Amino acid sequence: MFAYILRRVVLLVPVLLGLSMMVFAIGRLLPGDPVMLAAGPNASREEIAALSAEFGLDQPIPLQYWRYLTGLLQGDWGRSLQTRGPVLEDLKVYLPATLELVLAAMLIAVVAGILLGLLAAVRRNGWIDYLVRLASLASISMPRFFLGLILQLVFAMWLGWAALGGRFPLTLSPPPSVTGMLTLDSLIAGDMQALLLALQHLALPAIAMSLSPLATITRMMRASTMEVLQQDYVLTARALGIPPRKLLFKHVLRNALSSTLTVIGLYFGWLLGGTVLVETVFDWPGVGLYATKSILTQDFMPVMGVVLSIGTMFVVFNLVIDLLYGVINPKVQLR
Amino acid sequence: MERRRLLKGAAGSALAVSAAGLSGLALAQQGKKILVIASGQDIPNFDPHVATGYSASMLLRNTYDGLVRVEGNPPKVMPHLAASWAVSPDGLEYVFKLDTAARFQDGTPVTANAVAYSLRRTLRLAKGNAWMIAGVVDPNGIEATDVQTVKFKLLKPFAPFLSVLPWQFIVNPVLVETNKGADDGQEYLRKNLAGSGRFKIKRAEQGNLYEFERVAQPWKAGGNLDGAIWKIVRETSSQRLMLARGDAHIAVDLTSEDMDALKDRPGVVRILEPEFRTFSIKMNTESGPLADANLRKAVSHAFNYKGMLDAAGYAELMVGPLPPGLMSDPKLKVPRTDLEAARAYMAKSKYPNGGVKLTMVHVTGLEQQRQWSLVLLDSLKKIGIDLEIKPMVWPDMVASTKTPATTADFFPVYQTGNYADPDNVAYAAYHSSRNGNWQNPVYKNPKVDALIEKGRGEIDPKKRLAIYTEFQKMVVDDAPDIFGVLEKRRIAMRDTVQGFSFTPVASNAIDLQKLSLK
Repeated sequence: MFAYILRRVVLLVPVLLGLSMMVFAIGRLLPGDPVMLAAGPNASREEIAALSAEFGLDQPIPLQYWRYLTGLLQGDWGRSLQTRGPVLEDLKVYLPATLELVLAAMLIAVVAGILLGLLAAVRRNGWIDYLVRLASLASISMPRFFLGLILQLVFAMWLGWAALGGRFPLTLSPPPSVTGMLTLDSLIAGDMQALLLALQHLALPAIAMSLSPLATITRMMRASTMEVLQQDYVLTARALGIPPRKLLFKHVLRNALSSTLTVIGLYFGWLLGGTVLVETVFDWPGVGLYATKSILTQDFMPVMGVVLSIGTMFVVFNLVIDLLYGVINPKVQLR
Repeated sequence: MERRRLLKGAAGSALAVSAAGLSGLALAQQGKKILVIASGQDIPNFDPHVATGYSASMLLRNTYDGLVRVEGNPPKVMPHLAASWAVSPDGLEYVFKLDTAARFQDGTPVTANAVAYSLRRTLRLAKGNAWMIAGVVDPNGIEATDVQTVKFKLLKPFAPFLSVLPWQFIVNPVLVETNKGADDGQEYLRKNLAGSGRFKIKRAEQGNLYEFERVAQPWKAGGNLDGAIWKIVRETSSQRLMLARGDAHIAVDLTSEDMDALKDRPGVVRILEPEFRTFSIKMNTESGPLADANLRKAVSHAFNYKGMLDAAGYAELMVGPLPPGLMSDPKLKVPRTDLEAARAYMAKSKYPNGGVKLTMVHVTGLEQQRQWSLVLLDSLKKIGIDLEIKPMVWPDMVASTKTPATTADFFPVYQTGNYADPDNVAYAAYHSSRNGNWQNPVYKNPKVDALIEKGRGEIDPKKRLAIYTEFQKMVVDDAPDIFGVLEKRRIAMRDTVQGFSFTPVASNAIDLQKLSLK
């Protein structure tokens, strides 16, 4: 097991190297001129050249890449042309916000998706099943930003139960930052009111983010549960008089879960890279908006930072999923 | 039963917090007068000599001071750090007497040395607003003649000098020198303040909000605000909802549709005023078929201006190269839709029968520019010209303007007024030294250049007016642009905000100085 983890971690290096090389090359080969843009419309040619030199962008591309890599090893993620600030400083602000949103969305999707999938499979062709299938289809079809706007209108504007946007009430100071995730930071600070407020801000964007993976997980879970339910050992277990609830959660769930786990792993990466619309609607200061803005201004150091950090998280999360296969099903051997 | 009761209790307490914690919280402010502004733009850099953009201008004009300030409509230059000033008859020497009450936020007086230090730093860094004074102010020509008097010896007369000074902010030299580092204090001032403004930063949450707090004893009288919050709200419809709900007092990035939706909304005041922000479609006067002036004039007369205005929302048509209020000539005859005239110009051009294919670029995703491109396509069809519309991302568009050959036939440009003087628009949009830059990619005419230079050097207002009148006529004769629209600034605020007066320069960079909350 340890050797397996080590091998996967070592494999992360060529993956990230390849990723960085690709993004760096694309960034430098695009026709735009980010320096001219960052210098502003009124800058003279000399000012533009000076800014280019300040950021080392007048150097040959391979040398720029080498400097970037050696900088990374020393914890220097480069500086943003637009803000002139260090990328790492920005990532420390934006990444935890997005991670909190994605983890909350995944939590909702996984818990609700598995339970609903199980329920639909057990009550196959009953009204619950039809309802779940209809709701899944509707959730997958509905664009996340549109759902976000509807949630805002109903729960924030009409009912006033949740916040319109942002992560915390404007005029209150958030709990001291430890993880950058306000819910966790509130727990660490032991401030329950802050936790409730943070959850009220997190709820709507997390629900908007969760519906699409929720629907997929539900359907996957329903299909695999139905398959498992038809296995001979389930029939045997029933014949042996094992209580239905125990049979479902101890035997059927475990076996039905493996294929759903794969989807969960993939969705995590998909959500991490696809938060921008929900972040826009809910003013969630996350990495999606940061990356989009950087891409639109061809500010490539931030883009590199985002790609590498999301890439790393994606690989690590999928490693965890792979390990979970072994936990759920002891027959799976990780070598 | 137990569990149900527990759940009920939890739900109840959550709702109670929601009622107390959310609705009304933003505006209750625990008895303090805190103004909340919803804006789409972040403030990533606080350095007054580096940062640009309207959000940075908002932060800087409230945390730092300039020698003078701009207010009113039409904009007027008012004393600020400088209580008074005198200009030599040749326009080369300016002497400012500082207000003796002026204090930096650390309590030390604002001195003439600080003014000299700040302008020299601006010129040394050559970033931010340095372009406004580069080539005009000589770093060695700034002299602190005594603690409260500073003298500028300009390199050449520059009529808009007072108009650019509100955007030249004065830093506390002691603080900057103490934290100078290897980059002239840029790293320090990126996140720290060294100003004399009425407000300081209480909380800065990048990408989320910036909270301002009034300093204990501001050196200048103002409104009753204890503080303000610049809340970043990217979606304009969310800004509108916040304003409607009372979670924000001012929203600065609203669309025409948002303004329509807020009409007659109780408690909301809409501000729809023309600003010095022009939209034109530049034509490639140097390369390709549009190098032919007659073809450009044919295009200018074929263009459907009403169609453009209809798609523009709250806007008015431009009446020449300069916006009204900046010496625009009311008698100037600008092209309006006239197909007969267009055909007459076509007949005089190298392409009397049309059959030309031209290209228009626009910013990907900007719906309004796409619509205007379609208006142009439709207009050109009528005189036998085909148009290819190419959406591009903005950095690619900027890069394409480096040479006439790479510049598209039609290039749309928004030109924001940075200071209240015709020189701002004239120089940026029509002077040939700006060629290779998106504001004026290709257009050059030595006579126009000479007039622009004469205009910025002339300090007699009457003579200036004559110069700019001639300049406008000459530009219209050259037809380098389809003169488009002046979009109205769309700001909405709660009726509890008092003391706001619209100024058509940087009006979305809200000036907190005189604002009060009921």
